[in-house]
Amino acid sequence: MAQSRELYEAIVNGDAKQAHAVTQAAIEAGIGPMTLISESMIPAMDEVGRLFEEEEYFVPELLLAGRAMKGAMELLRPLMTASGEKLSARVVIGTVKGDLHDIGKNIVASMLEGSGFEVIDLGADVSSEAFVAAVKERKPQFVCLSALLTVTMPSMKTTIDALGNAGLRTQVKVLVGGAPVTMQYANEIGADGYSENASGAVGLIRRLLEGA
Amino acid sequence: MTGRERILAALAGQKPDHLACMPITMTFASDILGVKYLHYVQDHKVMAEAQIRTAEMFGFDYVSTISDPTREAADLGSNIQWYEDRPPAILEDEALFADKSVLARVKAPDRIAGGRMEDRVRGIGLLRERAGSDLFIEGWVEGPCAEAADLRGINRLMLDFSDDPAFVHDLFDFTLALAISFAKEQIAAGADIVGVGDAAASLVGPRIYKEFVWPWEKQLVDAIHANGGKVRLHICGNTRRILEGMGALGCDMVDIDYPAPMDQARLQMGPHQTLAGNLDPVRDVRNGSPETIAKALEALQQQAGARWIVAAGCELVRDTPHQNVHAMVKFAQTHSEFAIA
Repeated sequence: MAQSRELYEAIVNGDAKQAHAVTQAAIEAGIGPMTLISESMIPAMDEVGRLFEEEEYFVPELLLAGRAMKGAMELLRPLMTASGEKLSARVVIGTVKGDLHDIGKNIVASMLEGSGFEVIDLGADVSSEAFVAAVKERKPQFVCLSALLTVTMPSMKTTIDALGNAGLRTQVKVLVGGAPVTMQYANEIGADGYSENASGAVGLIRRLLEGA
Repeated sequence: MTGRERILAALAGQKPDHLACMPITMTFASDILGVKYLHYVQDHKVMAEAQIRTAEMFGFDYVSTISDPTREAADLGSNIQWYEDRPPAILEDEALFADKSVLARVKAPDRIAGGRMEDRVRGIGLLRERAGSDLFIEGWVEGPCAEAADLRGINRLMLDFSDDPAFVHDLFDFTLALAISFAKEQIAAGADIVGVGDAAASLVGPRIYKEFVWPWEKQLVDAIHANGGKVRLHICGNTRRILEGMGALGCDMVDIDYPAPMDQARLQMGPHQTLAGNLDPVRDVRNGSPETIAKALEALQQQAGARWIVAAGCELVRDTPHQNVHAMVKFAQTHSEFAIA
């Protein structure tokens, strides 16, 4: 389908104007949101992720692609709400308390949204109480925690413990990431998974969903 | 040789008595002195004491005034988030140039007077007075790209390269002028070398680095040299695709962070560039042992060849076991530089 290809290219090329225009035209032509998501957005963000892994794309290109994808998604969201269509999983993501670094988290959030997940981004410096409140209110399947400083990594354990104390721990899978974070640390604090990059996070969530 | 003589020899390509050792310490040093990091970053006397105590305890060849990325931004009026015992951070939502039009109304200061930049300059003066005969003294500035990210917000800047390249050029002119002023005062106060921290440059890739970052970094390097200082380039993160450009700046030493392979750095930068690094501060240094660290340094020296200084790829993190830091220094003290092949 021509619109699918055009939207795919607009996202991969980081062209937000074109992505918006093509999506609008596709909606007017009667193409459903889930078709556009599955045939254009997800393949486009997978390609963007591949280019990032291959060190062909870098943070600017990722953010441009993410912006193009989000612009298209803004047009599709009301249609999905009206028709009751849902994305495959809901993810709450944030940088933990005390840590203001967010560019890595933003990239992961973009990749997840572009991969067809509903993403609730709590921002940076997010307290464990805020994560618990978000899980209670929005009932995600996944919680992704980011930290870029060794001094803020303990906030990851604090958050996991807070989820446990609130009786919510078994309702979510908690994934962790960030430059100083390791698989060993993830295991020590009782996280369900760790990824060292954005593409890995997408793949991990997909695998966990398949195994669910 | 004193530490100062050792580093001067290493940087001049005159074989020192043994390898020089220049690990970056910030929170690690404040913990050695037993002070909260807030005191360290706000009072140059505390920073100087912590650096000297740390250098003497472990046998480093130098002391540094690196502390956090917010000194320049704070003095320009940026909103800073302060923490009791971790580095201060800039509030990106309230970045000084979140509104692009503000750039035209703000002037980079000609003189560094009052504020946090002066605090660093005074720290250098104090270190020169107390330790300058034995230890190499290091100043620090934010590089043009890093400072641009601090003032504009890093997420906005990453989009600006495509959305408004002319604005980026103007912004980098501003941050360059600021860095040159700051560096000049640090050199005048007694800094032997000025570290240029340009972490945001590792995020942009070779095309944007070549067009937007390298020309401004080059001007900064040349200005520091023209004012009698040496340059330590420090770009945190994965610099694998910009190594060649980094090597073409003419810096006296270039730190290689752990994601970039040291052998690639040597290949891209040639045999005469002094390199430092690149143990992983968490996985290799904090989580390792003296034995694993010694083995890792043996391998790194093979990859780096001659003109190499022992250091981790980035800052030593707090809670790094002291025995591991001693192991790094012991390696330096018991190994000589290789000859250039």
